[in-house]
Amino acid sequence: MLESENKMEKKSFQEEASIDSNNKLETTIDYSKVAYPPGGVLIWIVIYLELVTFGMAILALAYYGSQERELFHESSMKLNRVIGTINTIFLLTSGLFVALGVHAFKAKNHLLAARWFHFAVWGGFGFLVLKMFEYYQKLEAGLTMDSNSFFTFYWLLTAFHWIHVLVGMVILLIIRRNIVKKKAATLIEDVEAGAAFWHMCDLVWLLLYPMLYLLF
Amino acid sequence: MKKIQLYTYGILIFLTLLTAFIASFQGSKIIIIAIIAIALTKFWLVAFQFMELKKAHPFWKFLIVIFAGLIGGITMILY
Repeated sequence: MLESENKMEKKSFQEEASIDSNNKLETTIDYSKVAYPPGGVLIWIVIYLELVTFGMAILALAYYGSQERELFHESSMKLNRVIGTINTIFLLTSGLFVALGVHAFKAKNHLLAARWFHFAVWGGFGFLVLKMFEYYQKLEAGLTMDSNSFFTFYWLLTAFHWIHVLVGMVILLIIRRNIVKKKAATLIEDVEAGAAFWHMCDLVWLLLYPMLYLLF
Repeated sequence: MKKIQLYTYGILIFLTLLTAFIASFQGSKIIIIAIIAIALTKFWLVAFQFMELKKAHPFWKFLIVIFAGLIGGITMILY
């Protein structure tokens, strides 16, 4: 009895091989089980912790914004909306590349998967460079963390997010390297976990962008 | 599946440009609600389509829906 239960557990954990419509071998995991979200349960715990952390800071921003509407409005108008929008497009495009990379990896097309991850890293790089340009503009204009409470939030939130994007890029590069070198030996859980971290950077930015650039 | 991701991307880009456009008409409560609603829609599209949360157990779906809903809802109330 116990042995059969163990076998069932093992089966749900292990990758199962199936043939898709293109007759390509595809790896699948039973994601419908609570313990196996895409990328694994640990990365999702990290993701929710990060989201809650950023979420609380965003709510604090909204609260202080409601207390000092005029100041937040004037400060927000000093941000470059075009840069914010282009950066959103950079991250979304990069997110699409990662999603396509995971899809290609599942279809055992390792070369294509590595290529998508390579493009995704470039998307992240574009985001970081443009953000640094924006930081440079703000510093040139004397808008530092001490300028007012809006810019304290702006610098803390965006810089913290910037670091996450940088870490995400390193993770994507490691995944890409593993796919190129180890090919089939790379675990789908690892690829999905790295992809989930990258998408988390998207999620955080999708909340930061309207809060900092558009709402006030 | 690849097509769904491409469609999702197209919608995300459209919503991003739309929200940047409507943000230029400031001052109205409707605009604020629209900006937050679009942000939440984009958030959930990325979570469900790109992160493939649509395949996950309802527990994970529930958490992401509740989280974004709370952030958006409280922000609307505060604003």
